[in-house]
Amino acid sequence: MQDTFFVDNQLLLRTHTSPVQIRTMLQQRPPVRIIAPGTVYRCDSDATHSPMFHQVEGLMVDTRVSFADLKGILTTFTNQLFGQKTGVRLRPSFFPFTEPSAEVDIACVICGGTGCRVCKQTGWLEILGAGMVDPEVFRHVGYDPEEISGFAFGMGIERIAMLKYGISDMRLLFENDVRFLRQF
Amino acid sequence: MKVTYNWLKEFVDFDLTPQELADLLTMLGLEVEGVTSLGSGMDEVVVARVVEKNQHPNADKLSLCKVDSGNGILSVVCGAQNFKQGDTVALAQVGAVLPGEFKIKRSKIRGEESCGMLCSEKELGLAEESAGIMVLADDLPLGKPFFEAIGLKDTVFEIGLTPNRADCLSVIGIAREIAAKLGKKVRYQSVVVPEYGEPVDSKIAVAIQDPTGCPRYAARFISGCSIAPSPPWLVKRLNAVGVRSISNVVDVTNLVMIELGHPLHAFDYTQVAGGQIIVRKAVEGELFRTLDSQERVLTAADLMICDKERPVALAGIMGGENSEITDRTTDILLESAFFDPPTIRRTSKRLGLHTESSHRFERGADLEMVTKAIDRAASLIAQLSGGNVAKGIVDNFPAPRPAVSVTFRPERANAILGLSLSPDRMADLFRNLEFQVQPVSNNSFQVTIPSYRIDIEREIDLIEEICRLNGFDQVPATLPVARVISDRPSLHQRLQRLVRNHCVEEGMHEIVTFSFIGPDAADKLLLADDDPRRNAIRLCNPLATEQSVMRTTLLPGLLETASRNMSFRRLDLRLFEMRRVYHADSGRELPNEPMYCAGIISGLRDKEGWCQDKVEVDFFDAKGIVENLFDQLQIGSVTWVSDQPEPYYHPGKSCRILAGKTLIGTVGELHPHVQAAYEVERPVYYFELNFEELVRLTGKGVAIEPPSRFPESVRDVALLAPFDLPAASLIDCVHGSKVKELEAVAIFDLYQGDRLPAGSKSIALRLRYRAADRTLTDEEVQQLHQKVVVNLKEKLGVTTR
Repeated sequence: MQDTFFVDNQLLLRTHTSPVQIRTMLQQRPPVRIIAPGTVYRCDSDATHSPMFHQVEGLMVDTRVSFADLKGILTTFTNQLFGQKTGVRLRPSFFPFTEPSAEVDIACVICGGTGCRVCKQTGWLEILGAGMVDPEVFRHVGYDPEEISGFAFGMGIERIAMLKYGISDMRLLFENDVRFLRQF
Repeated sequence: MKVTYNWLKEFVDFDLTPQELADLLTMLGLEVEGVTSLGSGMDEVVVARVVEKNQHPNADKLSLCKVDSGNGILSVVCGAQNFKQGDTVALAQVGAVLPGEFKIKRSKIRGEESCGMLCSEKELGLAEESAGIMVLADDLPLGKPFFEAIGLKDTVFEIGLTPNRADCLSVIGIAREIAAKLGKKVRYQSVVVPEYGEPVDSKIAVAIQDPTGCPRYAARFISGCSIAPSPPWLVKRLNAVGVRSISNVVDVTNLVMIELGHPLHAFDYTQVAGGQIIVRKAVEGELFRTLDSQERVLTAADLMICDKERPVALAGIMGGENSEITDRTTDILLESAFFDPPTIRRTSKRLGLHTESSHRFERGADLEMVTKAIDRAASLIAQLSGGNVAKGIVDNFPAPRPAVSVTFRPERANAILGLSLSPDRMADLFRNLEFQVQPVSNNSFQVTIPSYRIDIEREIDLIEEICRLNGFDQVPATLPVARVISDRPSLHQRLQRLVRNHCVEEGMHEIVTFSFIGPDAADKLLLADDDPRRNAIRLCNPLATEQSVMRTTLLPGLLETASRNMSFRRLDLRLFEMRRVYHADSGRELPNEPMYCAGIISGLRDKEGWCQDKVEVDFFDAKGIVENLFDQLQIGSVTWVSDQPEPYYHPGKSCRILAGKTLIGTVGELHPHVQAAYEVERPVYYFELNFEELVRLTGKGVAIEPPSRFPESVRDVALLAPFDLPAASLIDCVHGSKVKELEAVAIFDLYQGDRLPAGSKSIALRLRYRAADRTLTDEEVQQLHQKVVVNLKEKLGVTTR
């Protein structure tokens, strides 16, 4: 990947927390329910990208986990974080390790959904990616996809913090100015 | 991928506004990232007729016209000569804003009033250059907005496609999606190629030497073409989706690529030696000049289109300069092929040459589109360039692939998705997508996938299609039924929280700094040349030097943060960071990444105010934070060794913290040189703790002793001690006397002054004695106290005063 920091030919700084899913499933049998926060790194730096940031990964695997459950969990999550009235939608997307895959949008926290510069006139803001774990992933970790199913989701914490607190520049989160820190 | 509303309408009927269409596409997974209206805000440009054209009285090159705008007769001064009385024209009325923020105002030109402007194509943004104004067809209704009248009003959608949807890199692909969602039928083109004369076989021969790289290659021969600019409709259509017009033949290949998703290439036939096409791998080191005039060095992995003698195109990526269509071209060899996606991806990536064509082949074109696309292009080229298409088509297709067929269980789909759709409904959804459905049993059916949907190979792919087409918004939001898992955060996690909370309760802000720092930090911290912390892990591709090595200590981040805050005159600082550091370990593949907790304090101890003393923090504040933390972690037996544990500490104002012989942390005032290196002007007190050791040492629980019901006896002793003897060693020595009746000891007085011998100080201790089972007698207390004092004298060489 062109946005990866390399240490040498063998080592790099991880660009996302998804490998935690695999490591966990290789270590234990279902049921699995994990939340995995972690530091990740990408060669990118501007007001909305930081070379170091954080992701939270979620994974649930059990005998009867459905896409509707994923929607229920994520709706609960966004309601808790942004309030009951904030609209949320799942829309089809693509990730190599989930199927179906979804991007999760919340109604724009700036304009409330009528369209503005922040949401590029769409009324929606993308906050996380999610989906049903691809059966091929289960096969690789020795789970039987006919027996179990599961969902996974991942999000960038800084981006969500920016939306929740109305922070326009991600760099503020890493400058550690006490006048900024004091407000939390 | 850009498509326009009107173009889509040619392939499928829908009754949606552009915004509704954008929403529909986004909710199908074809995310609309931008919607642009062509000709919007240009309603003040209307169709008008020149009813009178006269010479301007004061200017030779201008004419003075009376123009019927449908709403009345206006007087307009015009500089163009290419029109006559009675012509229909495009009139920009007063108030119109033309591209480039050109506002039309009422004005006087050489003394004559002009209420608008007759427009050229260039002025309306329809062409790069134009000679004179646009003269329109006579049957257009006067007064109607111009863009609407000539059918140019359109909406462009910019679609951000996910890499799996190669089939939607075309107008027809997106039209298929719309049709599937709305339950409509796609209007496929019926193309009849007008063929004349000799058979194509007499002109073109195709040999595929690498059938893996090129499973199919089709070609047609068109003679007698005249290469010319494309007609306006074609130019406008291509411009609308961001493609530059080149010439009629090249434009047709581009149009067909965007319309049907299949890249084509037109060769100048006379430059293809012997009319022979050979598809083969390049020879290592072979040179080839692509039509962007770049010399490319090829490898044996690159797939080439060659003639009898030499390469003529970089397969699927770009044609060669040696065989490109020029103004003098008359005979054309038209190529429509299918190239192996990984082959194209590798070559395109290695050469850094990414084209509309390679983009499509990399993701996977449609094998069955090869001949349809060439027929559509051949008929258009014949129509636009006057060429004759030779009879027949060369279609070299060594190993046709059978259609993919997948077994699908409706019940499984409902279980995965949390839906309860009927099998019939699911079958309908598949049919809407033009998939063929064959019932196999009560519980399953066989679904045959069209060749263009290369993303569908498995049942789960079909389940996704059901969910997508039925609508993600139709999925209910339920909470999972799950087995209870008995678990709680690990000890490591719980203690992290405890330590963080403790630091926050000590009034500190937690900070997060980057894991990578500048390579000069080791020098700034005065680390010795052989200090292992100099051996930091380096990034190969850092964004900046000051973010190029992984930190081996948390101190630089804290000091930089302190420095930045102090530059804003925030001088009273209490900061901590609790994160990992990275120690290269030559014996192991991965570095050690222990977690540390480190903090700095500086400035006033209390907030400035009317009732507080303005006292600055000191060493003991920093030590106190650490001691309180050890209390909370139930870490009892640590020793504080007063020396300079690290080069970055102030000599004599710092100590090591040991548990047994293990170093678990340090605390002290920072060295003035270190402060200076970070431009910190005030004393800074720092502590750092190896969190992994704290986890190892934390107490497993507390043993509770019932408090004694008997009275205490207090004895004081004043000791004359060497000046540099740490008070803590007195306390340790008292405890070392092993007197179990000793309940507590505290220092209650310290005297240093000229009444004492030089180099000494007086320390007064208060000792409390109490037994658990009886009242101690005076004699007993005296004996015990004597034992303690003697021990002090013997071990530490102090004297009583």
